[in-house]
Amino acid sequence: MKKNRISKRVVRNNLVGYSFILVSLVTLAVLVYYPMLTTIDYSFRRIGMVGFGDEWIGLENYRMLFSQSIFWKAIGNTILLAIMGLLTIPVGFLLAVLINSLGRGRLQEFFRVGFYLPNIITGVSVYLIFRVVLMSDGGLLNNFLSAITGRKVTIGWLADPKFARWGVTIIWVWMNMGYSMLMNLASLQAIPTDLYEAASIDGANALQKMVSITIPNMKNCFSLLFVTGMINGLARFTDIYILSGSDCYGGAGGTLQTILMYVFQFSFETPNYGVASAGSLVLFVLVFLMTMINVKLTGFLKDEV
Amino acid sequence: MKKAKYTRYLTALILLLILAVVLTPLLWSISMSFDRSATTSLPEFSLIPHEPSLFNYKAAAKMIDLLRYFRNTVIIVAINTFLAVAFSMMCGFAFAKLKFVGKKFWFVFMLAVMMVPFESRLVPLFLQYQRWGLLNTWWPLILGQFAYVYGTFFARSYISSIPDSLAESVYIDGGSEWRVFFSIIVPLSKPIMSTLAILQVIANWNAYLWPLVVIRDYDKQMISVGVALFNANQNAMYYGPRMAVAVLSAIPLVILYLFLQKHIVASIAVSGIKQ
Repeated sequence: MKKNRISKRVVRNNLVGYSFILVSLVTLAVLVYYPMLTTIDYSFRRIGMVGFGDEWIGLENYRMLFSQSIFWKAIGNTILLAIMGLLTIPVGFLLAVLINSLGRGRLQEFFRVGFYLPNIITGVSVYLIFRVVLMSDGGLLNNFLSAITGRKVTIGWLADPKFARWGVTIIWVWMNMGYSMLMNLASLQAIPTDLYEAASIDGANALQKMVSITIPNMKNCFSLLFVTGMINGLARFTDIYILSGSDCYGGAGGTLQTILMYVFQFSFETPNYGVASAGSLVLFVLVFLMTMINVKLTGFLKDEV
Repeated sequence: MKKAKYTRYLTALILLLILAVVLTPLLWSISMSFDRSATTSLPEFSLIPHEPSLFNYKAAAKMIDLLRYFRNTVIIVAINTFLAVAFSMMCGFAFAKLKFVGKKFWFVFMLAVMMVPFESRLVPLFLQYQRWGLLNTWWPLILGQFAYVYGTFFARSYISSIPDSLAESVYIDGGSEWRVFFSIIVPLSKPIMSTLAILQVIANWNAYLWPLVVIRDYDKQMISVGVALFNANQNAMYYGPRMAVAVLSAIPLVILYLFLQKHIVASIAVSGIKQ
């Protein structure tokens, strides 16, 4: 009798618990796990138009991908762009050091809010604006460079294969430095001040303090920004796609085509979903590796589970 | 002491210069959007319009139905933010305070999703919605919001810090877990809820790739895609109108930011989520 009542309560507790999470669990199963499994399945098939049948072709899609120099180029571009985008970290760090040295107060608040503003500007607006800023003839950046060098500068920041990667990196850094600054600043302010006091007593100068106290204490912050920067960089699509004039071949002689743009081209322009799925999985593996490094480095989730 | 003060002013001055450089493109675009001489040609750089006028805005209004995009986006942002916050709070509460079989497993099941970037399941998800016949509707934009994994993670750690003793009086009165959730947890979780809501509003307002893929009709489209399409279709000469569109589509979030600046900056610094 008593046992029966206990088990009734257990059943009830379980039902209540699941009533809070069931909808979300089903959503994830149907919209994340199932599609992820179908991607794996599709990557081994030849699929053109949906509903017109498909055919198991084993590793053919992967063989096709990796035999194409364009795909290797897309991987190379993506990784290179992701690494160039890491410039955001030192920029954010320098800003954070300067802002932190102002001491807490209104002035600091002002700069924190001001430098974060670019992050809030809707992406498409930023691309519209920077398309003009980075124009080769009459663009703001070239005008500025002309003014300080005294010669007429006409660099095609978005069109010239030699400079296009720098052009899109300028935009990336502009859009993301506020975030990097905030993270760096939070981390700087978490360093115990007595470390600096002790160093001052020992007669350390500002540079020595920076090298032996600040930078070692920022390691977690840097690695977090490194990994999240790489992950976001690897999945880069929107800005480059729009800046190339909504074209997935990547402007500037293909130097800007990323993996996702390559996948997009096989999904929505010339449908070959098998190849697109294989490409998606390559992207997934790259991102997954970075995420695992992240988990290892930061110990994220370690004490959560 | 005096020296320290001068260094402080100098630092502030340097930062002010950098900030001016960083914000110049924005100011220039605002100036161009009000400049009649920028309508069909690129004027000399100036932070003040050469020929002040609202012409570019009027021209833009004829070229793009911004009002409809605004309306569509506001509706989706409202629905999605509400769903995401509500369901992440529910999950966060269950994982923080309730006991049920498989709790650990399902928590890992949720968190593991963080490792699957949305972009890598774009194609199968698209095909799935195609099979369901839901392409070119708003459903693909909305359905995913019934699970907000990052939100669950932060809601859980926030709710864990609410002492159990507060809920006990409800339990003693014979109240259910749902009553505890609505009468104790939700009112006490306003800070985390507003943080999550802000992050959701920003993310949904800026959504581009997914609406681009699933919605075909212009009149159902979201603002980011609408503006990008407008940009791709227009003659590249129309600098002024394009800048007007850029200014208009950025304004709602900028206003939100100026009102909630401290809260937004703090949310992002605490959560580490960019968008």
